Amino acid sequence: MARFHKTILAGCLMLMPLGAAAQERPVVVTVNYPLKFLAEQLLGDAAEVVFPVPEDVDPSFWRPSISDISMIQSADLILLNGAGFATWVDRVSLPRARIVNTSAAIEGSFIATQSITHSHGDGGEHSHEGTASYLWLDPTLAAAQAEAIAGAVATRGLAPADDVEARLESLRAELMELDAEARDALAPAQGIAMIATHPRYQYLARAYGLSVASLEWDAGAMPGDEDLADLEALIEDTGARILIWESEPPAAAIDATNALGVESTIFNPLSGATAGASFFEAFSGAVSDLADAASRVPGN
Amino acid sequence: MIRAFALAAVVTAAPIGAAAHQLIVFASVDCETVLVEAKFSNGNPVQLADVRVLDGDNVLQTTLDIGEDGTVEIPLDSVDHSGGLVIEVDTGNHDNYWIVTPEDIARNCGS
Repeated sequence: MARFHKTILAGCLMLMPLGAAAQERPVVVTVNYPLKFLAEQLLGDAAEVVFPVPEDVDPSFWRPSISDISMIQSADLILLNGAGFATWVDRVSLPRARIVNTSAAIEGSFIATQSITHSHGDGGEHSHEGTASYLWLDPTLAAAQAEAIAGAVATRGLAPADDVEARLESLRAELMELDAEARDALAPAQGIAMIATHPRYQYLARAYGLSVASLEWDAGAMPGDEDLADLEALIEDTGARILIWESEPPAAAIDATNALGVESTIFNPLSGATAGASFFEAFSGAVSDLADAASRVPGN
Repeated sequence: MIRAFALAAVVTAAPIGAAAHQLIVFASVDCETVLVEAKFSNGNPVQLADVRVLDGDNVLQTTLDIGEDGTVEIPLDSVDHSGGLVIEVDTGNHDNYWIVTPEDIARNCGS
């Protein structure tokens, strides 16, 4: 019995340092999945990387709870996407010294957007300028964000600088390879006009020479008669042959839109859940699906 | 037709949420009050809006009218702020919010 107790005690003693180490790991919070992926690649086990948005919520429009913000305020590093992504960051107090805007160095590469004309107050009809925020759909911009993360991690001593530098080099190479693959796969799609059900693909389009107009449909929802009329008008204006959905729509939605003469494909913009696939796998799969849709367009 | 034309613009549309965040809400806190400020992105103060104060369980504590200068003060002793507060400002056309955590209140009380 005494031997048993000694064994248990020895086991506990062996586990204690691991438990303490786990508790002492710095916490890094990110505002979207791509930043979580990049941070994990750079940090390894040196830190816990937290992306606090639930899987069924679009991180662009996530509204955190008070307890979420309390957790984020206590993090060692808070990685923002910039470019107007995750507007909740402008609705809370965050510790400035621990915030890093991962796109600060690439603001010159941002794409401006314009909202649909509307009115409020005494201002009359007008629209608001904005910024396209899905930067990571151009892997070269994701690489720039990775460099910003690596710099922030090393500066704060969250992981050994040499390790981070080596991981950054590897990550950068993989992102460049992903970019090259996408360039090859999507080259045949360059002459085909496309429509996206939501404006997510500006950087993808620019990176690979695609022509993508956008609607404002709800992700995964069945489009109504008015939505389909908008799509039909946009097809007429653009000559689009491919419709890009950001998530799986009802089968009836595919049938309804195919009847308008467009090939449907799903391209997860990767801001949130990726169903267990890594950033590389999900991006590569979506590019492949888009290339397949392009190949099904008659005459292509 | 105008709508279709707008949709067809090469410069693609911002998300619906973009319209909502053109109302800017900010709240600062000290040991006695939460000062809420609301303005439009053109700098004009909000003059007509409901200010809803919710507690940490998302339960409505009180609803106040905003002042003509776009501000309103919420005495901390008038609400249960132990779990933090969510301040929602709603003009009818636009809405936005600010989150005050218990740590924000403690930090600004010098503790």
